[in-house]
Amino acid sequence: MIRQKRWFAIFYMFVVTAFFSSIVIGFSQFTRERVQANQQIAFERAVLMVLPGMYNPELSQLAMHKRFEDQLSKPDKSSAGAYTLKEKGQITAYALPVSGQGFWAPIKGVIGINADKQMVTGLAFYEQRETPGLGAQIIKTSFRKQFEGKIISLVGKAISIKRPGEKIGVSDVHAVTGATQTCIRVEKIINNAIRNWQEKLEQENQ
Amino acid sequence: MAVVSKKSEAGKIIAEGLWNNNPIFKQVLGICSALAVTNLVLNTIVMCGALVFTLSLSAATVSILRNFTPRNIRMMVETLIIAFYVIIVDVILKAYWPQMSDNLGPYVGLIITNCIVMGRCEAYGNANPPLRAFIDGFFNALGYSFVLLTIAAFREILGMGTFLGIAVPYFSTGWDKWIVMVMPPGAFFMLAIVTWILRSVQISREEKDK
Repeated sequence: MIRQKRWFAIFYMFVVTAFFSSIVIGFSQFTRERVQANQQIAFERAVLMVLPGMYNPELSQLAMHKRFEDQLSKPDKSSAGAYTLKEKGQITAYALPVSGQGFWAPIKGVIGINADKQMVTGLAFYEQRETPGLGAQIIKTSFRKQFEGKIISLVGKAISIKRPGEKIGVSDVHAVTGATQTCIRVEKIINNAIRNWQEKLEQENQ
Repeated sequence: MAVVSKKSEAGKIIAEGLWNNNPIFKQVLGICSALAVTNLVLNTIVMCGALVFTLSLSAATVSILRNFTPRNIRMMVETLIIAFYVIIVDVILKAYWPQMSDNLGPYVGLIITNCIVMGRCEAYGNANPPLRAFIDGFFNALGYSFVLLTIAAFREILGMGTFLGIAVPYFSTGWDKWIVMVMPPGAFFMLAIVTWILRSVQISREEKDK
């Protein structure tokens, strides 16, 4: 029987693999633009969320994209890689993209900083694969809201994430209960990004 | 007569998948995902939907190809077919429900390694006609889903005070939330309790029937 021939197994595997792979490739191509658009929208939403007065959850995706395009300036050398919100030519806030390794996979987000570069105006994440119900709680408003108004210009860590219930200061927030590892990584990602940004700005000003 | 026989055959397959030979508490298959995705009910529903889709179609496809697939490479072919359906689910979520794709993270991809899928394809799909294989896959996945949803409901309510993200009276306000329930140990406790209860009911029914 042909099924028992050794060459048939190789030939059969090749044909079956080619058949299923071509369907997967075709389907991925078909949805590629949509996936990329989703990623871009998620990023733009995160940027608007961290800038004061810019985010409105009732806006359609198209309106949000238009607001992002019309009202924000793209990163340049003078902003050291941050998006800027301007009013009458004057910078009113920065939106700094941050990224780094989370507990399971990379975490990507945006941190908003006010015009005098002293205070956080907001924090949002647009990509994370932390544990659902635990580390993934970093995207919840209750965790993110804590960052608003925190001072990042003090000596030492820009932001400290303390254990739940612990006393906190002007640059501290509380961690998510049961998500210590994710919070340690979020703290590192934010602090590295802020320090690098501050150094770049200093170099630009010299 | 033939119609009655076909109906009783389908009923038997359904009863086997849902209860008599339930993948979780009888066959003890697919335990990894039962532990991993059950801390939120919504995530569990989507995961179960993905498994129903993957398992029923994989079993039917394996069955369609069973007369052509050489025996010595059948498991490679089965893995390829399962991976195909899982990737389709993953791409659909990324394109049409990105929020859920983010929530489930790596777990959708891990359906490929779910023992129930390979187990049913190998044990049933490989030896039965496509329609029967489809029904067997579909109801085994539903059997898996009802146990997982039971576990998820208890874990979310006791651990977070919510059900499908909506606050549950008393559990969201007066209840001292059991954080351990949404952490990995909570999954072990709940799985053991649910398995213990359902197996006890099953054994007592079997003894009554004797």
